[in-house]
Amino acid sequence: MKDLKAKIAELKKKFNSVSARVKDEKSLQEVRNTYLSRKRGELNLLFEEMNALKPEKKSQAGQMINSLKSYIQERLEKLKKEIAVKERPVRKIDLTLPGEKGYCGAPHPVVLFQQEIEEIFLSMGFSIEEGPEVETDYYNFEALNFPPHHPARDDWDTLYITDDLLLRTHTSPVQIRAMEKRKPPIRIIVPGRVYRRETSDPTHLPMFYQVEGLVVDEGITFANLKGTLERFIKTLFYEKIKIRFRPSFFPFTEPSAEVDIECIVCGGEDEKCRICGGSGWKEILGSGMVDPQVLKNVNIDPEKYSGFAFGLGVDRTAMFAYQIPDMRYFYENDLRFIRQFALK
Amino acid sequence: MRISLDWLKDYVKIDRDLSALISKLDMIGLLVEDWEERDSDVILEIETYANRPDTLGHLGIAREIAAVLGLNLKEQNWPLIEIEQETSDLIDVQIWDENLCARYCGIIVKNLKVGPSPDWLKKRIEAMGLNPINNVVDVTNYVLFSTAQPIHAFDLDKIAGNKIIVRKAGESKTLRSLEDKNIALSPEMLVIADEEKPVALAGVIGGEESAVFEKTQNIFIESAYFDPVSVRKTSKLTGIFTDASYRFERGADISFPPQGALMAASLLTQMGGEATKEIVDVFPKPRKNKTVILRHKRIFELIGLEIDEKFTYRTLSRLGFQVEIQQEGTWQVLVPHFRIDVEREADLIEEITRFYGYDKIPATFPPLRELEPSLDKNRKRVNKLRQLLFSLGFDEVLNFSFSDPEEEASFKTKRKPIEIRNPVSSKASILRTTLITGLLENILWNRNRGAEGIHIFEVGNIYFWEKESSREQARIALATTGLIGSTQWQKKSKETDFFHMKGTLESLMSDLRYEPFSFQEKDHAFFEKGHSLALLFKEEIVGYFGLLKKNLLDSYSLDDAVWAAELNLSMLFGKKPQSFQHVPVDRFPSITRDVSFIVNRSITYQEIKEVIERLSIPHLKTFDLYDRFSGASIPEDKVSLSLRFVYRNPQKTLLAEEVDSLQQKIINVLKKEFNFQLREGGTEVPSKVRSKKK
Ligand SMILES: [Zn+2]
Repeated sequence: MKDLKAKIAELKKKFNSVSARVKDEKSLQEVRNTYLSRKRGELNLLFEEMNALKPEKKSQAGQMINSLKSYIQERLEKLKKEIAVKERPVRKIDLTLPGEKGYCGAPHPVVLFQQEIEEIFLSMGFSIEEGPEVETDYYNFEALNFPPHHPARDDWDTLYITDDLLLRTHTSPVQIRAMEKRKPPIRIIVPGRVYRRETSDPTHLPMFYQVEGLVVDEGITFANLKGTLERFIKTLFYEKIKIRFRPSFFPFTEPSAEVDIECIVCGGEDEKCRICGGSGWKEILGSGMVDPQVLKNVNIDPEKYSGFAFGLGVDRTAMFAYQIPDMRYFYENDLRFIRQFALK
Repeated sequence: MRISLDWLKDYVKIDRDLSALISKLDMIGLLVEDWEERDSDVILEIETYANRPDTLGHLGIAREIAAVLGLNLKEQNWPLIEIEQETSDLIDVQIWDENLCARYCGIIVKNLKVGPSPDWLKKRIEAMGLNPINNVVDVTNYVLFSTAQPIHAFDLDKIAGNKIIVRKAGESKTLRSLEDKNIALSPEMLVIADEEKPVALAGVIGGEESAVFEKTQNIFIESAYFDPVSVRKTSKLTGIFTDASYRFERGADISFPPQGALMAASLLTQMGGEATKEIVDVFPKPRKNKTVILRHKRIFELIGLEIDEKFTYRTLSRLGFQVEIQQEGTWQVLVPHFRIDVEREADLIEEITRFYGYDKIPATFPPLRELEPSLDKNRKRVNKLRQLLFSLGFDEVLNFSFSDPEEEASFKTKRKPIEIRNPVSSKASILRTTLITGLLENILWNRNRGAEGIHIFEVGNIYFWEKESSREQARIALATTGLIGSTQWQKKSKETDFFHMKGTLESLMSDLRYEPFSFQEKDHAFFEKGHSLALLFKEEIVGYFGLLKKNLLDSYSLDDAVWAAELNLSMLFGKKPQSFQHVPVDRFPSITRDVSFIVNRSITYQEIKEVIERLSIPHLKTFDLYDRFSGASIPEDKVSLSLRFVYRNPQKTLLAEEVDSLQQKIINVLKKEFNFQLREGGTEVPSKVRSKKK
């Protein structure tokens, strides 16, 4: 029995040294035959030796031999895998062949830009509100302080459906609808399509997108309007952009302001700049403090509450930001144009 | 408004250089849009606003400049050469409609020789971009561009009965214009008439018969105030828009007519005429100046900046307001007549802020007192849907809401279109009732420019009448035609087809968790018979898709097949999607079995699917069609289908024998139901995954 134990130990040692030298399938097979062959394999010889033992020792010896057997089997199995990996043929490939291209569709630039605008205002605590495009004269004009027959209406050349129904000329009617619906504080933006009776040319379209904004609360000031719009513009363009607020007129705000930003193309250096005409400024927003009459029209007390409103043309601003020379490109839907915005 | 710098200097001393002046003007809201040098003068193009008719003349602009520079306006002197005749002895002025004409002034200039203007006047007129005509016309234009007060000159000798009557046209039907055309009058229009007939359209244009011509000697000068709305209506009805009507419809200065008449008469007497004594001034109901209360603390409350009381006082005074201090912090402000825009405290605050400088106002952020709940869930859904479509290779387009009624009609949407009364073009005279027309335009555009595969979508509204009210419905439409992807060395592009569209819609519905959804074979006006399906969710049709009809494609000159889909997003988003829930992942391995068989073409996949589903085979997790082909090896009326079945028991590892017997059950039933012929899988052939053919 002692003999057998020693033999097993020696066999294991021998196996370890032999198997360490196995390099390929052939030498592996040799080792396997040496140890595991059913006829003359070393292990079988051990089993035969075991059979000669007394029955009470047999089972203990059997356990020892079996454990060596599974050790050898596992080891050989592992070697087999290692050799397989080593011997796998590696074909040379042409690494210079082009890579496989995927394809992804592209967003429309106006939608893309509108969403950029929306994201900025959402981050400032605004929520998004919508309203009808087919609007009444009351919401589009009268409630916004455009009396009937007032020349101010000429600046908003209108497409009419009936005497009373029209295609909204701005997103401002949603201001009125929002203020009718709920009490201040109100902090909304209104994106959407608006319409003008204009023939298409490089800078005019009969339909375009606008984003309107409205903030109404106690103690809202012109300074708040400036702070909000400056933050917005700096986020949309860049932090150091020059911004100018300039007095203007809108029937539904008082005081009113137009907002100009520095020409990002020429910086005012090019007298013939086709973006700014050499002035160095580009108008991008209309804004102002909500006119007290507009607040009264929706039963909000202008002595208690104040507010500001603003609006910007999405297409026009996108045109400026992406330096697109012709507004009509947006609605030609040439895929060679649109696909560029997959990169944005 | 064109403004001459030389002309401005008649009213105010300007010693700044041009760029400093322009930036001052910009700062107070008189935006200089353009400027040009002209001889020794500079012509500015200044943006003016609908509420500021006072800035439609050099005097008004000069007043603003004086205020911003802290200067006084120069005194103006208008001497007359008079004759010993009272104006009112020579002409009888009557206002019959005081509502439409609140004030009418006149003066007569006799013995004038009509001829060319002196050079200084010609230069002024030319600076306004006009051609000098004669001294009379040039003088009236000069007064208008100087002061914004329109002036009209009549040939006195052609005024019948020496009467000027301001009345509605009433029975009078026409007025002969200078171009020898008859202007049709409507009864409500305000006219200037003599004893017999209208001689001018009040505030708009004069008539031919009373017009000054080269032989005119005696002139009646009109300087009046007409009702803005009346002038605007007359202008719009007759289609005649003049420099005069432009100013009257915005609101003239009711205090100014005598001064206007005096200026014109003075200039004409300097050119040889002689004026009558005393201006006729018919002003039935003189108006008081408006008064507005200004509480100084409101400036801070609205603007967010303390402005010095002295500054406020000075600015308002320079602009022509009279300020009386009622009590500490509360002022009574008397508004000059030329400032028709100032009626309320807020209007005064704008004036003060404008001159103080918007740039001096701090930029602060409004306190966020409350956060509103997000109102727009649909925005998120639309975005998810867009992202999915991008990943599937669809490009986004946007089309105008307008549509061509003829084009729309061939689509037979059955929705009553909304017509535009004054469209820009007859081809854009209704609002779209489907998004597909736009997509076809886009396909045509891109086809003509060489695109081989066009896969596009648009999210937008359609518009239609529902009974008496207009409806707007959010939709998504998709169209696909031609090759998908570009051909590459190890990946070939393929032609799009019905199932590309179907799969897109399936992923779209699954991604938004609008499950379970189903399809139903249904004919639709857009699609070829037998090539369209309706998409249903919660028993309602949310949209259709299919192969567009040949005749529709023909009308866009499109030869290749186009598959399109249109879904009603308003309806879909109105329904609740399946709520999201985590599902435990498989702990035990699944077993896959493939089977291929040949069946009659007439048997639909749906039928086979339903039979399998009805069996409710335990542990059958999914099954799917992974190959379908017909060809040489298969009889004409048959088709080969390959299905893959996946089995799994969530509790334990399934045994191969168990699965085999379940699989055999399915095969047996399919054999019985559809009389199919087994190709691979099941007991007749050992199971293995058959490689994809084609
Ligand atoms: Zn520029």
